[in-house]
Amino acid sequence: MEHDPFKWGRPDNATYGDYDYRISNAKNTEFPSMHTQQPIVTGTSVIAIKYKNGIVMAADNLGSYGSLARFSNIERLIPVGKDTVVGISGDISDLQYIERALDELEVENDYDGASHPFKANHIHEYLNKLLYQRRSKLNPLWNAVVVAGINSDNEPFLAHNDLLGVQFSSPTLATGFGAHLAIPLLRKVADKEEDVAHVTKEQAREAILQSMKVLFYRDARSSNRFSLVTIDKDTGISFEKDLKVENMSWKYAETIKGYGNLQKF
Amino acid sequence: MNGVSVDINHLKKGEVNLGTSIMAVTFKDGVILGADSRTTTGAYIANRVTDKLTQVYDKIWCCRSGSAADTQAITDIVRSYLTYQVGSDNFERPASVNVAASIFQELCYNNKDNLTAGIICAGYDEEKQQGEVYSIPIGGSIHKQDFAIAGSGSGFIYGYCNENFRKNMTRDETVNFIRKSLGQAIKWDGSSGGVIRMIVLTKAGIERLIFYPEETYLVPKEFEIPQAA
Amino acid sequence: MTSIGTGYDLSNSIFSPDGRNFQVEYAAKAVENAGTSIGIKCEDGIVFATEKLVSSKLLVSGANKRIQTIDRHIGVVSSGLVPDGRHIVNRGRQESKSYKGIFKQPISIPQIASRLGNYVQVYTTANSVRPFGISTIVGGHDSQGYHLYMIEPSGVYWGYQGIAVGKGRQSAKSELEKLKLPGIKVKDAIKEAAKIIYTAHEDFKDKDFELEMSWISEEFTNGRHEFVPEDLLAEAKKYAEEDEDEDDEDDEDDEDEEMAE
Repeated sequence: MEHDPFKWGRPDNATYGDYDYRISNAKNTEFPSMHTQQPIVTGTSVIAIKYKNGIVMAADNLGSYGSLARFSNIERLIPVGKDTVVGISGDISDLQYIERALDELEVENDYDGASHPFKANHIHEYLNKLLYQRRSKLNPLWNAVVVAGINSDNEPFLAHNDLLGVQFSSPTLATGFGAHLAIPLLRKVADKEEDVAHVTKEQAREAILQSMKVLFYRDARSSNRFSLVTIDKDTGISFEKDLKVENMSWKYAETIKGYGNLQKF
Repeated sequence: MNGVSVDINHLKKGEVNLGTSIMAVTFKDGVILGADSRTTTGAYIANRVTDKLTQVYDKIWCCRSGSAADTQAITDIVRSYLTYQVGSDNFERPASVNVAASIFQELCYNNKDNLTAGIICAGYDEEKQQGEVYSIPIGGSIHKQDFAIAGSGSGFIYGYCNENFRKNMTRDETVNFIRKSLGQAIKWDGSSGGVIRMIVLTKAGIERLIFYPEETYLVPKEFEIPQAA
Repeated sequence: MTSIGTGYDLSNSIFSPDGRNFQVEYAAKAVENAGTSIGIKCEDGIVFATEKLVSSKLLVSGANKRIQTIDRHIGVVSSGLVPDGRHIVNRGRQESKSYKGIFKQPISIPQIASRLGNYVQVYTTANSVRPFGISTIVGGHDSQGYHLYMIEPSGVYWGYQGIAVGKGRQSAKSELEKLKLPGIKVKDAIKEAAKIIYTAHEDFKDKDFELEMSWISEEFTNGRHEFVPEDLLAEAKKYAEEDEDEDDEDDEDDEDEEMAE
C-alpha cells in the first residue's frame, strides 16, 4: 500500500510518471510575491486649519465601497492621548489598523505610569515611521493622515503623512479632494504661518464649515454628515459629532433651464 | 513532462463563487440571518440548495459571500478559536458576538491579499441579551450595524432595506422584511437564487426557516419584469 | 533543611522520595526574605502596596518603581528577586497584547492570572531552568468587576480578597483579615494598606524603606491602574505613622492594665 496520502487517488505512476513537484512548488511566474492592494471601503477628505490657539479639523462620516455609499457612521477623527487627534482618509480597514496600533502605543507609553504623555509631534513621527516602513515593504497602508494637536512646546501642531511615507506641515492641510477644493478656501483665512496669530477660533471653524459644504457640493464620495474637532492649547479637545452641512444654496437651480440660453421652458 | 499537468491559474479562475444575497437583521428579541441558496461557477449553478448560513458558536452565526473555499476556511478557523480557546477555559463565559466578529476581521485583514471574503457575523449575545450584527467586507474592516446586507445581490436592495428597516421589529415583521428584501435581490441578481434560508437567534434558542420560490417570495406578479408600455 | 546533602535539591526535574521539589521550596525562601507586598480587593477597587527596601542612600527616591502595569487595567506587584518580577511583567504584557490582537478586547484578570500561573509552573518542570524567586500579586478591573490573584513560585495561583507576600506577610495577613474584605472603600483601603506596610516593616526594622502604592478604581482612576496621587499617599503615610505612635501608646496602656491586675 502507498503510505503517502499525497499520492492517494493519483493516476498510476507507472503510466504517468512521478508527480512533478514543480507544480505544488510553483510560484506566480511573473512576480516573486505580490501585494495586490487597493483600497476597498474608503473615507474621503480630512481638512484642518490652525488658529491662534489651536486647530480645527473635520472629516465626514461616510465609508464608500466604490461609488456605493455603504457605511454612513464611520468616525475618522481619532483622539490619541490628551491633546492630539488623528484624521484619517483612505482605506477603512487600514484606518482601523492604525487605530489599534496607536492604542497599543498608548498602552506601552503608560507602562511607567503616564509620566511622559504623548504630544502631537510624537504621534506624527510614529505614524510617519509606520507608513514609510510599510511602503518600503511594497505593502502600503492606503491612507493619508493628518495629525493635529499640541506639540511638546505647547504650540499648535499640524502635519500631513501619507501612504508613500511623505510628510509635511502647513497652517492649512487637506487630503484627497480637499487638497483641491478646501485648501484655497482655508488659505484665504491663513495663508502663511505668520497669519495664524491673527486667526480666531470662530474664523477657523467657519472656514472649515464652509469647506465641508463645498466638498459636499463637489466631491462625489462625500456625505453631508461630519465630525468636527477643536483642539485648543488652553481648553483641550472638544468634539462635535453628527454635524450636518448647513446653509446650502440650491434654489438657483430653478432658474437653470436647458443647457444654452435659448430654451424658454 | 510525464506527470499530470495542472494549470494553477485556471483553478483559481474557475473557483466556486458565492455570488450571493445575504443579510442579517437585529430585532426586538435577537437577530435573524438570511441568505439565498445559489452557488455558481461562472454562469453554471454548481449548487442550487446551498446553505450559506454557518454556525461558529452556539448562537453566533455567519453569512458567507465571495469565494466558497475562502469563507469556509475562515469560518472553520474562527469556530476552532471560539471552541477551543474561549470555551475551554472554565472561568470564561460564552463567546461574545463581538469577539467572534473580531477574529473574522483579523483573519480577513491579515490575509487580504489572498482572500475574497465578505462576511456578515451575527448572533445573540447572551450577556447583553440582544442581537448584534457585524459586517466584515473584503479588505477586512469591521462595522457594527443594526442590520447588514452583502453579496452581489445586495446592490439592488440598498434602497428597499434602508426605507423599510425599523429598530425593534417583531419576529414576524423581521422575517417578512428579510423575505421581501432577499426576494427582490434574487429577482434582479442573476448570481442569486434558489430558496431563502433564515436562522432566528433569540434567548429562546435557534430556529431554522426556509422559503420556497413558487410558494412564498416569487409569486408570479412580483416576478414579472416591468416592461415599458 | 532536611534536603541538604541528599542530592534531591539540585535539580528542578527531580522529586525527592517523599514527593517534594526542593528547588521550588528554595525559591519560596527568596520570597520570604523580601520586602512585603500586599493587594486588597475593595468594594470599589483594588489597592496595591509594597515595602520597597532601599539598599542604598544614593538611589533616587521615588524612582525605580516596584509596582508595575501589564495593561491599562492590570496592576502587578511582586516580592522576591526584582529581575524576576520585571520578567514576569514583560511576559504578562506580551500575553495581554497577543490576547488583544486576536480578541480585540482587554484580557480578563482570571485569564491573565491563568496564563502567568501556567508560565511560572513550566519553570518548575525543566532542569535547565530555575523557578521564579517571586510571589506575584496580580489585580485589575474587567467586565466582571475587580479581581485579585497571587501566583507562587510553584505556579499555583488563587484568587483572594486580600493577600500579603514577603517577609512581613504573617502580620500583614492578620491585619487584612480584620478589614472584613471586600467590604471596604478604596480610599480607606489606601490608608489601611499604608498602615499594614508600616506594621510589616517591623520585620525589617534595620533597613530603610519607601512605601509605594497604586490603585484601580472605576470611580477614581477610570478603571485604570495608576500610582496613588501624592496627596492621598501623604495622607495615608500620615495615618500609618500616627497609628504607629498610637500603637506604642496602646502597648503602654496594656502594660498598665496588666500591672493593675
